[in-house]
Amino acid sequence: MAEAALPGTASAAPPAPRRLPSLAEALLSVLAVIATMIFLFPIYWALSQSLRDPIETFTVAGFGIPWIDFEPTLDNWRDQLAIPETRRALANSTVIATGASLLALLLGTPAAYALARFRFRLIPNRDLTVWFLSQRVLPPVATVVPFYLVMRTLGLLDTQLALVLLNATFILPFVVVIVRQTFLDLPRELEEAALVDGASFWGAFWRVALPLAMPSVAASGLIVFSFAWNDFILAITIASREAITVPMHMAGAVDTRGVQFWFMSVRAMIAMIPPVIVALLAQRYIVRGLTLGAVKG
Amino acid sequence: MRASLALMGGAAVLALAAAPAAAGEYVTWHDDGTVDLVMEDGTTLKTSRDELGGLFGPDQKPFEGTEISITVNSGGPKGGISGPMHSFRPIWEELSGGKLNIVELPFAEHYTKMMLDLRNGTGQYDAFMVGAFWYGDIVPAGYAYAIDELMDSGDFPSWTYDDMPPSLKALYTWKGEGFGTLNDADGQVLYYRKSVLENPEHQAAFKQEYGYDLPSPPKTWQQLLDISRHFNGKNWDANDSEADSGTVLHLKVGEQGHYHFQSLSASFAVTPGEKVDRTHNVYWFDPIDMKPLINSPGHLRALEFLQELHGTGPSAQVGWSLGEAWDYFLRGKAVFVFSWGDVGALCQDTTRSNIQGDCAAAVLPMSDEYYDMEKKSFVKAEDRPQVGNTTGGSWHGVISNFSANPEATYSFLSLMAIRPASMWNAQHGWTGVDPGYSYQFLEEQGGTAKIEDYVDAGWSAEDASSYLQAYRDNFYAPTMLTYLRIPGTFEYWDILDKNLSAAMSGAKTAKEALDDTATSWEQVTERIGREKQIEDYQAAIGFEG
Amino acid sequence: MWTSRARFFFLLPAVVWIFAFTLFPLGYSLYLAFYKVETRTEVTRIQEPLLDAAGEPVLRPDGTPRTRSVVSKEQRSIAEFVGLANFRRLWVDPQVHEAVRVTLLFVLMAVPTQLALGFLLALLFNQRIVARPVLRTAMLLPIFATPIAVAYLFFTIFYEAGGPLGWTGIPFLSDPFWALVSVAIVDVWQWTPFCFLVFLAALQGVPDELVEAARIDGASGLDILLRVLLPLLQPVVLIILLLRLAEALKLFDIPFALTGGGPGIATQSYSFLAFRTGLRFFDLGYASAMAYGLLIIVMLIVTFFFRRLRQSYG
Repeated sequence: MAEAALPGTASAAPPAPRRLPSLAEALLSVLAVIATMIFLFPIYWALSQSLRDPIETFTVAGFGIPWIDFEPTLDNWRDQLAIPETRRALANSTVIATGASLLALLLGTPAAYALARFRFRLIPNRDLTVWFLSQRVLPPVATVVPFYLVMRTLGLLDTQLALVLLNATFILPFVVVIVRQTFLDLPRELEEAALVDGASFWGAFWRVALPLAMPSVAASGLIVFSFAWNDFILAITIASREAITVPMHMAGAVDTRGVQFWFMSVRAMIAMIPPVIVALLAQRYIVRGLTLGAVKG
Repeated sequence: MRASLALMGGAAVLALAAAPAAAGEYVTWHDDGTVDLVMEDGTTLKTSRDELGGLFGPDQKPFEGTEISITVNSGGPKGGISGPMHSFRPIWEELSGGKLNIVELPFAEHYTKMMLDLRNGTGQYDAFMVGAFWYGDIVPAGYAYAIDELMDSGDFPSWTYDDMPPSLKALYTWKGEGFGTLNDADGQVLYYRKSVLENPEHQAAFKQEYGYDLPSPPKTWQQLLDISRHFNGKNWDANDSEADSGTVLHLKVGEQGHYHFQSLSASFAVTPGEKVDRTHNVYWFDPIDMKPLINSPGHLRALEFLQELHGTGPSAQVGWSLGEAWDYFLRGKAVFVFSWGDVGALCQDTTRSNIQGDCAAAVLPMSDEYYDMEKKSFVKAEDRPQVGNTTGGSWHGVISNFSANPEATYSFLSLMAIRPASMWNAQHGWTGVDPGYSYQFLEEQGGTAKIEDYVDAGWSAEDASSYLQAYRDNFYAPTMLTYLRIPGTFEYWDILDKNLSAAMSGAKTAKEALDDTATSWEQVTERIGREKQIEDYQAAIGFEG
Repeated sequence: MWTSRARFFFLLPAVVWIFAFTLFPLGYSLYLAFYKVETRTEVTRIQEPLLDAAGEPVLRPDGTPRTRSVVSKEQRSIAEFVGLANFRRLWVDPQVHEAVRVTLLFVLMAVPTQLALGFLLALLFNQRIVARPVLRTAMLLPIFATPIAVAYLFFTIFYEAGGPLGWTGIPFLSDPFWALVSVAIVDVWQWTPFCFLVFLAALQGVPDELVEAARIDGASGLDILLRVLLPLLQPVVLIILLLRLAEALKLFDIPFALTGGGPGIATQSYSFLAFRTGLRFFDLGYASAMAYGLLIIVMLIVTFFFRRLRQSYG
C-alpha cells in the first residue's frame, strides 16, 4: 500500500501493457470516483429537484433519482422558459458575455503580443505584466459605486453596452497575461523573417503570430466568456430592467414568500450550463488560464 | 401520411397561438353592460362597463403603443404579489392596447432599485409594488404620484378607500392624500390546529401538566407558550413518524423575520391609552426626542419570550423565510404559526397542504402583562382591548412621480383593485394578496361576502369563517401597533432585523441585541436629522401631545 | 528590432482602457470618500389636454376634456467636504469590525482547505487510476458554475428540515458559526477542483528521474513528498495562494444568496457590507471609504507576493 501511494511516478511512465489493475489501484480508483461524485452531487441535486413537482421538493426520499424515487416532470422547465423575462435574461447574458470577451480579446491580444515580443525600457516588461495582473485582483466592490455614477452620467444605466464595457475591463488583464504566455512560447524567428521581408509589425502580428496562437487565444476567449457570464455584482449594480442577466434573474427566484426550490433549480441549471460547456471546450488551456499563465498545464 | 397530418396539426396550433388578442381573447363585452374577464387559468371574473370606467370599451385601445414598467418583489408567474400581475397582464393589454413590463426584483434589491430610480429621477419605472413601510422614503420627498384626481375622474376602473378598515386606509394614504391603489392587506393572525387542541386526550394531558384547561385558541401569549411546549417534540401528527413541533416561525435575516417580533411585542410594549402621547400608544420612538423605545423593558421581555417560543419549534427556522415555515405548518408539523393571510388561503391548496379543514385562525393572543411607560413598571393586564397589527408590507402599487404615463399605469393598477379582482386574489393563496376589505368579510361579520363565495373557490367553510373573523377582529381592533412610515424606515428595520436574528441564533443576548439596535438607530436619526425625524414621526403616528 | 515605436501602438489601447475604467473610478471614489454628495431631482407636472390621433381634444361623456399629465425634471447635486470623517467611522464601526472578522475567518477556513484537499486529490489522481481523463474533466465543472447559482443550490442542499444533508442534524444555516462554515464549504466545493487541477498539472511536470533517484536512495513516500515534491511545487503553491487569497477576500455572491449575511451579521462579508452601504442605503461616501480599506489590504497582499510574481513572469 505504501508503495502504491508513492506520488508522482505513475503518470509519466511509458504506457504499461494491458493488465488487470492491482488491488491498490482498484481501491484508489474507487476513491477517485467517490471524490468526483461528491463534487458532482450538487449539480446532480439541482437537476433532480428541477424535475420534481413542487410538493415533492422535500418529500422525495434518498438521493432523489428520477423514475426510481419520483416521477419526473418538465413542468418547471416549461414554466420558466415560457416567461419572456427568462428569455430576455438569456439573450442579455449571451450578448454581454460575447461582447465583453470579444472586446477584451481585441484590446488584450495586441497588448499581450507587445509584452511578449517588444522590449520596454522605462518600465520593464515583467513589471508591466504584473501591473496587468494586479488589476485582476482588484475587488469589484471598490469600483461599483463609481461605475454606477459614471454610467448614470453617460446615460448608460441598464444597458447591455455598459455591462459589456465593465465586464471587458475585469477580464482584460486576464487575456493580456495568458495570451502573452502563448506568444512567448512561439518562436519569434518566423515573425523576424517576415519583418526582414518587409512586413510591418502589425502584419507580422496579424498574419504570422496570431494564426499560430489562435487556438490558445480562442480558448482564453471561452474562459473569459464564462467569467463575464458568471458576473453578478456588476449586473446587479447596473441592470434594473432591460439588461437583467441570467445570474440576476437567478436571484429573482427568491420570493418574499420564500425560496421556490423548484424554480431556483431550473434557473440555476440554466445559469450554469452555458459557462460550464464553454469552459469544457477550452479544457486544454484551463490550468494555464486559471493560473494566469504561471503554471503550464 | 401520418407525419404530414401531424405537421398540419402543428401548423394549426401555431396559427391559433398567433391569432390577434383583439379577438376578445381575455375580455368579452356583453350587451347588458356586463363584462367577462378571463383569467389565464380559465376562470371568468364578472364585472361591468361602469366598474371598468370610461376609458375602456369594446372598440377602445386608449393606451395603444404605451409601454409601462412596474417593479415587484420577484416570485414569478405563480409567486406572491407578482403572480396576480402576470394573471392580469393579458387582460389589461387587451383592454388598453398597451404593453406591461413586470420587473421582478429580489426582495433585498427591490427597495434599492426603486430608490436609485427615484433619487436619480430616471423615470424608468412607472410604478412600484411597494411595502407600506417605504412610504416615508418616497412620499415626503415628492417621489410618489397622488392618485385622487385619477380616482375621481371616472375614467378608470373604480374602487374606493371606503372599503378599507381605517387601519389599512392609513397605509395607502399620506396626510389625507391617496397614493396607493388597493391590493394587499397584511396583518398577522394566529393559525392553529383545532383538532389537535380540542382532542380530549391531549386536553387531559395538558391539564395534568400545567394545571389549567387547554384554551382553544389561547388568549394570552403565555398560554400559547405552555401549549407550544406541551406539544413540541411529541409525534401528535399521524402523517409521519417523526416528532412534531409547537410553534413554527420564519426568522431568516434580510427578509421578513423581524415582523414576528413586531406583532408579538406590541402587547408587551405598547401602553394603552386614550390618545397618542409621549407614553401611550407609542412603540418605536419617544415622539418628543426620537430616543428609541426599542430597548424598553417591555420590548426586552417580548424578545426573551420570543426566544423561548423559538425553543418550541424546529431550530432550522432561524434560516427560514416565509415559504419554508409555512410549508412546515401546511405539512402538519406544527400546532401554531402566526403569520399573514397567505397561510389561511394556502391551507386550502391541497397540492401543498395536508390540513385543509383543520386550519383554524384567531386574532393574535395578548400578553398577560405589559410595560407601562408612564409608571415605568410592568402591569398585569387581563381582558384588555385587543392590540391589532398591520404588520407586513400590504404590498400595493404606487405610481412614480417621474412616470411619463401615470394614466396608463393607473389603469392597470386600478384594474387589479376592482372588487371581483381583489376578491379573486384574496381567495387564492398563491397570489400573496390577503383579505382585509369589507366586501371580503362575511355578512355576519359586517361585510358583504357570503360563505359560498369562498366554498366555491375551494375553501373549507369552517376554515374560511374563522379566518375571515380573525382578520376582521385584527384590522378593526381598538388599539393598533403603530406602523413605522418615516424616512429611513427600511434602514431602521434592517438594523432591527439583523440584531433580532443575532438574538434568535444565540449570537447576542436579547438585551445586547436591543441595546445595539437602539445605538445604531440613534446614528441613523443623527444622519437623517433629528428635528426632521421628530416632525415626520409625530405626523406618522398621529401624535396628540 | 523589438524596440520599435510600434510597440506602443500594440500596448497602449489596453493600458489606456484600464486607466479609464479602473483608475478613474478609483479616483472618483476617493473623492466620494472625502465629500458628502447629495443628489436631488425636482419634479414639476402640468396637465395637458389629451389629443386623439387627429389632434382633437378627447372629451369625457360629460363634455369635460380628458387630460394627461406631463412631467419635467431638474437635477441638482451638492457636495460638502467631510475630510476624514468616513475613514474615522470605518475605524470605530462595530459592523465593519465584524465584517473584517467574518472575512478573515472565512479566508482562514476556505483557502487552506482548498489547497490541502486539492493537493491530496492531485496525489490521488496522479496514481494509475481508471478513467482518469473522464474524472478529471468532471472535476472541472464546479469551477465554472455560476457562483450565485451555486450558492442558491447549496441553500437547498443545506436545507435543515428535509434537505439531502438534513440527517446530519448540523444547523448549517441557522447557527452563526455553522453558517460561516457553510459559506466556506460552498467556496471549497467550487475552488478545490481548481487547486486540484493546477497541482495535478504541476505533479505531472515533475521529472520522474528525481523521484526515482530519491527512491533508490531509500527515501520513504513521505520523504519524497516533503523533500522532493513540495520544494518543487513551491512556486505553484504561492501562485495558487495569491489567487485564492485575492478572490476569497472579495467574497460576495455566496453570502448574498446563501445566507443574506445572517444569521444576524454572522456571514456578512466585507464586500457585502460595502455593497449594502453604498447601493442599498446610499451612503456612498462611507461605502467608498470601505472599498478603499479592502483595496489597501489586497494591494498589500499583492505587494507581498510581488517579487515572487516578477520571477514567474520574467
